[in-house]
Amino acid sequence: MLKRFLSERPLRLPHIKPYVPRPSDPSIFWFNSERDDIVSEVVNRVCTAHESDRGRLEIALNDAAFHEIRRLEKQHDEEARDRLGYWRSMIRRIGKMDDTEQRRVLHTIVTNMTRDVAGNFDPRVYRFARRAVPRMIGGVMEPRHLMAPAPDAVGRVLKVQGDVEHLRKLQSEGSLVFVPTHSSNLDSMVLSQALEISGLPPTIYGAGKNLFTNPIISFFMHNLGAYRVDRRIRVNLYKEILKLYSQVMIERGYHSLFFPGGTRSRSGMIERRLKLGLLGSAVEAFSMNRVRRVDRPVWFVPTTINYALVLEAETLIKDWLMDEGEARYIIEDDEFSRIDRWFSFFRKIVGMHGACIIRFGDPIDAFGNSVGSRGESLTPDGREIDSGGYIERRGKPVTDPARDGAYTRELGEVLAKRYEQDTVLMSTQVVAHVLFRHLVQSTPGMDLFARQRLRGEISLDCETLGRELGEARDRLRELERQGRVRTSEVVKGDTPQELLERALSIWNGYHSSTAARLEGNRVVIGDPSLLLYYQNRLVPFAEAIASPEQLQAACEIENLGVHR
Amino acid sequence: MSLRIGVVGAGGFGRAIAQASARHGHEVVVWSRKDRELPDGIRMSTDIADIGDSELIFLAVPAVHAVAATEELGKVVDGRHLIIHVSRGLIGADLKTVTQVIRERTVCRRIGALAGPLAADALAEGRPSGAILGTGFPELTEMARDALGGGELRIYDTPDVVGVELASATVGFLMVVLAYAQEIGAEPSTLAVLATRGMVEVARVGRTLGAKESTFMGLAGLGDLIAAVAGDQRPEFLLGRALAQGANLSNARGKVGAYVEAIDVARHLLEHARRLGLETPISATFVALTEGRISPDNAIQALMERRVGHE
Repeated sequence: MLKRFLSERPLRLPHIKPYVPRPSDPSIFWFNSERDDIVSEVVNRVCTAHESDRGRLEIALNDAAFHEIRRLEKQHDEEARDRLGYWRSMIRRIGKMDDTEQRRVLHTIVTNMTRDVAGNFDPRVYRFARRAVPRMIGGVMEPRHLMAPAPDAVGRVLKVQGDVEHLRKLQSEGSLVFVPTHSSNLDSMVLSQALEISGLPPTIYGAGKNLFTNPIISFFMHNLGAYRVDRRIRVNLYKEILKLYSQVMIERGYHSLFFPGGTRSRSGMIERRLKLGLLGSAVEAFSMNRVRRVDRPVWFVPTTINYALVLEAETLIKDWLMDEGEARYIIEDDEFSRIDRWFSFFRKIVGMHGACIIRFGDPIDAFGNSVGSRGESLTPDGREIDSGGYIERRGKPVTDPARDGAYTRELGEVLAKRYEQDTVLMSTQVVAHVLFRHLVQSTPGMDLFARQRLRGEISLDCETLGRELGEARDRLRELERQGRVRTSEVVKGDTPQELLERALSIWNGYHSSTAARLEGNRVVIGDPSLLLYYQNRLVPFAEAIASPEQLQAACEIENLGVHR
Repeated sequence: MSLRIGVVGAGGFGRAIAQASARHGHEVVVWSRKDRELPDGIRMSTDIADIGDSELIFLAVPAVHAVAATEELGKVVDGRHLIIHVSRGLIGADLKTVTQVIRERTVCRRIGALAGPLAADALAEGRPSGAILGTGFPELTEMARDALGGGELRIYDTPDVVGVELASATVGFLMVVLAYAQEIGAEPSTLAVLATRGMVEVARVGRTLGAKESTFMGLAGLGDLIAAVAGDQRPEFLLGRALAQGANLSNARGKVGAYVEAIDVARHLLEHARRLGLETPISATFVALTEGRISPDNAIQALMERRVGHE
């Protein structure tokens, strides 16, 4: 009961007097005073798009009722009891309603859905979280510091890379859209910490409604500007509302964050096929501002989140293997929902310097061009161009959803490329790759699934493994020089022996199965699926770092990422 | 509505585009490194900056020159320009398409690839014909129809840009295969099997590069192949015949007079297919034949002895 109450109506703190933002505050501090205005803008735009055409309006209402009835019938919960009657009676009446009635119903549905999506921002919660989150993380890592945390506890575990100074300059000139890779439910929290320690502004972002079921997380999410995305709702109007909400926020200069991969990468591979819905909303926000002659550009920051240890690795790879390509969209029973796993995860990364690296890539405009220090768009040879030209038709700026859709697809491709180049390969990933490649090489002709069953059967002597690790690392260095990928300081600096020991100690003791273990002078492969998960980050580089004898196995690995 | 049209390249296709556009009342400028004589009403320029004034630009150079030409073009264009290329080849061992090159070397994004059974002389003279434009941008299709369409040219479109480019490049290779087979006296049914199964084969490889197989079966693929077989004098056909008459590859190329990229494309395609473990028997056999690794009799025998499967 309480759970539902909280997830339906998240808690807000009472206001004695309203907070008046200062000019130096980040844009999101203005959100609460603009909230109603934003909701009504979204509602108006959605309704206007449907009202002009009775056919379209009727289809929208039928679609909403049909999908909601279908969803609620499966749910058997309180929400179903409350709402099912409404939708059932509505679907019977749609055909008989006159135009005014249909519009009124549309307006009610859209308003309710938009209110459910829109978030809240409370500066007090923000300030509290700024202090409390590092303390919590520090406390879990080193309990004696719980009350007075080691000041740099978070800074040790979390490293930030990239031209942060450039982003700080841009943030006051336009809207920044952070588009990171997605591996873990911790990502949004880790990223907000990274923004915080880099002096970058907080962002709004869409969080799955399933994250709101935990009352504490729900409280923070809701009051820190997150908007709620209920993935169970299949209604087209709802999808339009989500996109428009994101678009209106970006148009108004709110910095934004979303994961273009759509969901956590199940395989552990760097995302290649991106979901374009929210990305499109940002591109359209740019066009709309230009057409209205509002000088508020939109820039995209491709960001990679790189973990040496992934909280949910076991569940994610199991899901991928079970259902390759057709990943379950909502997983509610993974490590993220188990507090004991959080504790052992954070305990594990104690003392691991740079266990997580956030890399902010160089910002780009909506058309994939680099952006100069003043926010100007640049050609590959450094010439300054007007990004408004892209939305001109015969010299006039115009809105055109089909054109913006095409720009969005191209932007998706640019981002996927940038993810590869900005990925920071971690010790565990490199070691897993060399071990997994050995597994593939020793089992020619065997398929991926049969290989998963080879637990404890394949081993490699430390000397050979050390040599292969050294060679792979040298080739990765070369790729790094060419700008094709990056490696962590640990991968750069450790000896192969140290790398191996580090990776084994990171995995073992956290994951419930053993990825690999040392037996005398040999490394035995324990759980190939865990190795697969970590090594998948190297799929695009497998051939480039293989020796001629390893090429066949590397090809097979690289083919894991090819769409057929 | 008169458009400002720029054409990069003054070869056969570039001139034909310029003529068709001028005939429809547009303002046309053609750029080439060397000064060329052009029909009345078409401006010639050796200064790439003149192309910068255009709204719609046609890139009409062979794929081998696409990198150099786009490098030049990149200096004068920006987000306002729309570009359509008519190259039929791919670039380098990684099978890069010309639109990819344009995207890398210029800041233009509204790009399309024009392909299909369109021939330069039909276009120049305004005889009825058809073509396919691969582009994600509907406004580009509209502009292309305004520029070239009129009543003579039907321009269909598809968002599968890479499909159009791969189909158009690989069909060139199938043309060589068919001409060769015809010259050594293959039956019509043999030609039909080579054409259809060959198309399936290249489409299968194309899919791994992001193309849709159905695009290969449309104007960019089968449409173009039918035009070639029906007697369009393509250099690929001449090359195939010369090879069948016993010339080695470089001599055959010499006889044709134009550089045909088809065999290089096929080699790179084979290399890609081999890495992915895809079956490409027709292409593999024919490339081996052109390299003198097997004889024509062995080639046919090897193909006929293969296990037959489902279509």
